[in-house]
Amino acid sequence: MFKLDPPHRRYALRTWGFMGVYMALNLAAMFGVFDRLQGQPGAWVLALAISAPIAGQLWATLGLMADSDEFVRALTARRFILASGLAMGLFSTWGFAESYAGAPHAPGWLIYPLFWGAFCLVSPLVRSTR
Amino acid sequence: MRNHLRELRAQRRWSQADLAERVGVSRQAVNALETDKHDPSLGLAYRIAAAFELPVEAVFENPHAAAGEQRQVGGE
Repeated sequence: MFKLDPPHRRYALRTWGFMGVYMALNLAAMFGVFDRLQGQPGAWVLALAISAPIAGQLWATLGLMADSDEFVRALTARRFILASGLAMGLFSTWGFAESYAGAPHAPGWLIYPLFWGAFCLVSPLVRSTR
Repeated sequence: MRNHLRELRAQRRWSQADLAERVGVSRQAVNALETDKHDPSLGLAYRIAAAFELPVEAVFENPHAAAGEQRQVGGE
């Protein structure tokens, strides 16, 4: 059976926790649980609450890097930087396309799933720290 | 950085996991060193050399050795 080392086990647990909260709040919003907050000051609290797991996920990633050896640390940093660059590049391109080419509007929260999509894409390709 | 990890490990009949445990890194890190996918930090290079009870340059080839010799000759 595939066994994770302690840093990756902690990372997986933290990721499941933060992603669970993120998904649960988004699903609740999609099913109208927070509809009465629309346009109210409480909506800002809701926006912050849904975004908080993203900060938590960043902390989990930094924790993985701190607990791991130098190879895993360097590899994770390289993948993270490439995925961030790819997500920012794609989203900025779309933003300019909205401004100048009349592309349909994409909400800002899409940057986060876009980043993880990019991370999944680059991870199998980036296996060297050089 | 070219190295002799695989041969040295084989001589001692150590697995990658054995060496990893001795120097305090993951098995993936040892594999990455052996397949030239990672250049070790100075600290890790010294830990590996100590595990084999050899000087660092007996484990890792110094890619700048020839350049150093040329500089010395040129400076004379």
